[in-house]
Amino acid sequence: MHNTIFTFPIIHNAIGIMTPFLLAGIGGLMTELAGMLNIALEGLILIGAFFSVVFAAATGSLFLGVLLGIGVSMLIAYIFGAITIYMQANVFITGLATNLLAGGLTTVLSFYLFGTKGVIRFQSLPDLAEFHVPVLGGIPLIGDIFFGHNVFTYLSWLIVFLAYILIYRMPFGFHLRGTGMNPEALRSLGLKPTRFQLAGILMSGFTCGLAGAVLTLNLGAYVPNISAGRGWIALVVIYLGNKTPIGVLIASFVFGLAESFSNYAQGVTNVPADFILAFPYVVTVAAMVVFSIIQHKRNLLRG
Amino acid sequence: VNDTLQRDSLANILGLIVTLGVALLVMIIMIVILSKEPGTTIYHFFAGPLTNTYYFGNMLNAAIPLILTGLGIAVAFRASMFNLGGEGQVYTGGLMTTFIALSLPQISPILGIPLALAGAVGVSAAIAGLSGFFKMTWNTDELISSFLVSNALILIVDYFITGPLKDPDTNLLTTSKIGTQYRFLKIFPPSSLDISLLFVIGLACLLYFYLFFTHQGYELRITGLNREFARYGGINVKQYTLIPMLISGGLHGLAGAVSILGTHYRCFKGFSGGMGWNGIAVALIAKNHPLGVIPAAIFFAYIEAGAKSAMIHSDITIEIASIVQSIVFFLITAQAIYNFFHYRMRRGYA
Repeated sequence: MHNTIFTFPIIHNAIGIMTPFLLAGIGGLMTELAGMLNIALEGLILIGAFFSVVFAAATGSLFLGVLLGIGVSMLIAYIFGAITIYMQANVFITGLATNLLAGGLTTVLSFYLFGTKGVIRFQSLPDLAEFHVPVLGGIPLIGDIFFGHNVFTYLSWLIVFLAYILIYRMPFGFHLRGTGMNPEALRSLGLKPTRFQLAGILMSGFTCGLAGAVLTLNLGAYVPNISAGRGWIALVVIYLGNKTPIGVLIASFVFGLAESFSNYAQGVTNVPADFILAFPYVVTVAAMVVFSIIQHKRNLLRG
Repeated sequence: VNDTLQRDSLANILGLIVTLGVALLVMIIMIVILSKEPGTTIYHFFAGPLTNTYYFGNMLNAAIPLILTGLGIAVAFRASMFNLGGEGQVYTGGLMTTFIALSLPQISPILGIPLALAGAVGVSAAIAGLSGFFKMTWNTDELISSFLVSNALILIVDYFITGPLKDPDTNLLTTSKIGTQYRFLKIFPPSSLDISLLFVIGLACLLYFYLFFTHQGYELRITGLNREFARYGGINVKQYTLIPMLISGGLHGLAGAVSILGTHYRCFKGFSGGMGWNGIAVALIAKNHPLGVIPAAIFFAYIEAGAKSAMIHSDITIEIASIVQSIVFFLITAQAIYNFFHYRMRRGYA
C-alpha cells in the first residue's frame, strides 16, 4: 500500500495511522470540554467503521457510505447522550453500554446480513485516492508529512483547524467550555448546559464515525472489532494533549509514531506478534502515568 | 423515616424491574426481526435454561465466576473506584492457576489447590493494585489505566496460551489439561456445576460482613460516598484507593482460577471473554450490595444460557446477549426512572 518514494516511511505511515486517533480525539475533546469523560469513543468508531463500509458497498459510493456511517454513529451518540443527560444516568456506565451495544450490534448484523462473524471483504469498493505531488513529495520530512495521504487525513487536519476556531473564536466554544468549568454560570446567562453537553457528544459521534470510516474504507473490508482500542487511546490523547486541539494533534502523532514503529519492528524482528500488538497499550499507560506525575509535581509546586 | 426508606427501596425495585423488562422486550423484538422462526427461538431462549437439568446446572455454574467478578466490581464501586480491567484480570488469573497446576503435576490437592488459587489472586490483585497505586500516588485515572493494562495483558496471555504453554498434542489454541487432583468436585451431574458455588456464596457473605460490620469496611464506604467528608473525619482516604483495587483484582483472579479448576481444566484462548464486563452489570443490578450480587449473577447467567440455548436450537448468534446487556447498562443508572416511581409514590398513585 505504501510505496518507497518516501525518505522516512516510518514517519509517513505514522501520519496515516494517527488519523483515526486524531479524529476521535477531537470529538472526545468536545465532550471533555463540556465536562464529560466520553468512554463511548471506542464503540462509536466501531459503529462508524461497520456502517460506512456496508453502506458504501450497498450504494456503490464512498461518499454516501461515509455520510450514512457518520449518520448511524451520530444516532448512537444521540441515544448515549440523551439517556445520560435527560435520564440522568452515569456517563461511564452509559459509555460502556454504547461500547457493548456497538460490539453486539455489529456482530449480530454481520451474522444476519453476511452470514459470518469474521472478516467481510467488499470487492467492488473503489480505492481511496492518495494525494501525490511529484517533486515536493520527494523532499525529506516535508514530503513524508504532507503528501501521499488519503482524503481523510487532510480532512482530519481541516477538522483540527475548525475545532480550534470553534473552541477559541466562537461564542459556541465559550459556552461549551463554560459548561465544563461552571454550569451554574452558564445557567445564569439563560443558557442550558445540557444542550452543550449533547452537542459535544454529537460532535464526538461525527468525528468517531469518520474515524471508523478511515479504518474500513482504507482496507476495503470489515474486520471484527476493528476499532481495537483506538477510542481508549484517543481518550488518553486528549489528556496528553492538555485538552487543546493542537495538543491532541501532537499527541496523536506520537501514538501514530509508536504504532508505525511497532509495525516496522514486526517486519524486521522476531518478537511475537502479540507483544507487538500490546505495545501501543503499554506506551499509552506509560505516557499516561508520566503525564500524571508531571501534573502532580506541578500541583505540588503551586502549593 | 422508616416509611420513606421503604418507599425508596420499593421505587428502586420497580425501577430495576422496568430496566430489566425493557431489556428483555428489546431482546424479543430483535429475535422477531432477526430470526426466521421467532417462536421457537424465544421458547428456547427463555425456557431452555430452566426446563433441562443439564442446562440449569450449567447456568448456575456460569454464575460462579460472575458472582466473583460482580463482588470485585461492587467493592471498588463502594469506594468510588472503577476497575475496568476485569477482563484481563480474570484471564491472567486463569493462566496463573493453569501454570501452577501444570508446573506441580504430582503435588497433593491439599497443597496444590490453595497454591493455584493464591497464585491467581495474587497476580490479579497486583495488576489491579497497580492502577490503584497510580491513582493513590499521582492521581492517574484508574478507569483508563486499568482498562489499558488489561488490554495489554490479554494479548500477553494469548501469547503464552498459543506459545510456550500450548498443548503440543492438539491443534486447538489451549494449554494442556491440569492434573485430576486439582479439579473441583461436581455436585449436580451431569451438568458441570461444582462445589465452588457454596464457597463463592460464603465469600459474598464474608464481603458483606467486611463492608458493613467492620471498621475498615465502614471507612471504605464513607470514603466512597464523600472523600472530603471522610478526610475531615480523620480517615486515611489514600489507602482506600489502593485497598479496594487490591480486593477487586484478587476477586477477578479468583474468578479465573475457579473457571479453570471447576469447569475448563485447561486455559484456552479467550475463555474469560465477557466475564469482566458482565461483572460490572451484575454489580450495578445488585446496587453494589454483596448479597444482591448472587441473584444478579444468576440473572446474567440465565441471559447467557438462554442465548446459548437459542443459538444451538435456532438461528440467532450468541452476541444478541450483549445487546440485552447494553440495554441494562444504559438504563440501570438512569435516575429519571427511579425518580418517576418516587414521584408517583409520594403522590400516592402506587
